[in-house]
Amino acid sequence: MLLKIAKTTVLVALTACALNASDFNAQAEKDRLALIKYFEAKFENPEKNRNTFFPYSTDDELKNNIMGGLKHQDFALGNYAFSKNGRASYDEIKEFPPTEEWIEAGEELYNKKFANGKSFANCFPNPAETGAMYPMFDEKRKEVITSTLAINECLTSNGENKWKTTKGKLAHLQSFFAASATEEEKVVNVKIESADAAAAYENGKKYYYAQRGYLKLNCASCHVQGAGQRVRNESLSQLLGQTTHFPVYRLKWGAKNPADGLGTLERRMSGCIKDEGQVPPKNTSKEMKDLLYFMAYMSNGMKFDGPDFRK
Amino acid sequence: MKKIINLTIAATVALTLTTSLHAMDGKKDCDVKANGITKVIATANVYNDQAKKKGLEFRRLNVNNSDLIISVEEAIKTGAKEVNPKTFKGKQSKTKLETNYAAERACKFAIAALTQDQEAKTTWRLAVPGDGYKY
Repeated sequence: MLLKIAKTTVLVALTACALNASDFNAQAEKDRLALIKYFEAKFENPEKNRNTFFPYSTDDELKNNIMGGLKHQDFALGNYAFSKNGRASYDEIKEFPPTEEWIEAGEELYNKKFANGKSFANCFPNPAETGAMYPMFDEKRKEVITSTLAINECLTSNGENKWKTTKGKLAHLQSFFAASATEEEKVVNVKIESADAAAAYENGKKYYYAQRGYLKLNCASCHVQGAGQRVRNESLSQLLGQTTHFPVYRLKWGAKNPADGLGTLERRMSGCIKDEGQVPPKNTSKEMKDLLYFMAYMSNGMKFDGPDFRK
Repeated sequence: MKKIINLTIAATVALTLTTSLHAMDGKKDCDVKANGITKVIATANVYNDQAKKKGLEFRRLNVNNSDLIISVEEAIKTGAKEVNPKTFKGKQSKTKLETNYAAERACKFAIAALTQDQEAKTTWRLAVPGDGYKY
């Protein structure tokens, strides 16, 4: 009898814990599903739904460039998911992707010994797991840890100097991690398991949706409501799937020096915030980390496909 | 003597803006004709410092608002009619503005950064699908 009571108590306690843990991501999950629903509705039939979603697009664009019938996983490709013209160029470049040499450079860095004889393998024993685990919320430190931060902390804890957080070696190493995660078909699985993690998510969400800068834009102006629309000759990409393919090789970044073409997610986000007309936050600041945490959660359930390239 | 007057104006503006519940009004507070350039740039300085602390400082064409303010302050000292502020990387920018206009812009940018942030507290949800954004 006593054993039965003890067993029941343990079961109830475990269930309560599990329920509580799942409660912390309830709002985030609601947001994610609403976002998927929005994008699927938006790209179901762009021509038919032009008044609702594409009021400024021309007949030619809607007929000949923007594809319809897109489903959740299709959005992992960024604007190449819906832009016929962009997709044609993307498929061609993909035959000989400009990221190959950086993955190799990243693997070399991964195996290279530090002055103390250790290497990144000591900090990150499984490259594929590493490529899939960030950003994550560290419950002990009560903060979001990004891949960029984790790599630099690995360096400093081994007596090495930090690396630049935008490009170069750090991006190369990240491309090796990303390629490993992609190869093992890892799926984005950002977890929110505490009130602190939920607060970080909310903070990042607010940053994404709040208007800022002298242009008074929020990120959503371009990447939610504006996704699929054209700015000059560029189709704006959608929030869904925006973090799955980093680091990316951007043709714009590599125009002057191809060695600078591969960049981190933080580099891209800083560029976006600058375009809104505001001084971007530091790459390992709370604002930036929370923002990436929110964005990555929105891509939960999507496959990693980095490193990739973009215009 | 001029320096003392300028310093006094700047200190008075700073004190007024930080200690009172001053309602920010870009048009009124940043009008050089009505307030004088020294007072306008002092206002810009106070509000821009607050914006910087909150991570909201504006940057236009690679020029941070604080660099624009510095260029105006230098122009006031030298009497230059035009400013050419430095970029956030410390290089000379392509921005060239008439000094009074630059002062007004710096002031309006500083105020707008803060008022937008205040507005966003109630408006940001309007952009969230499944929340305030309806389609």
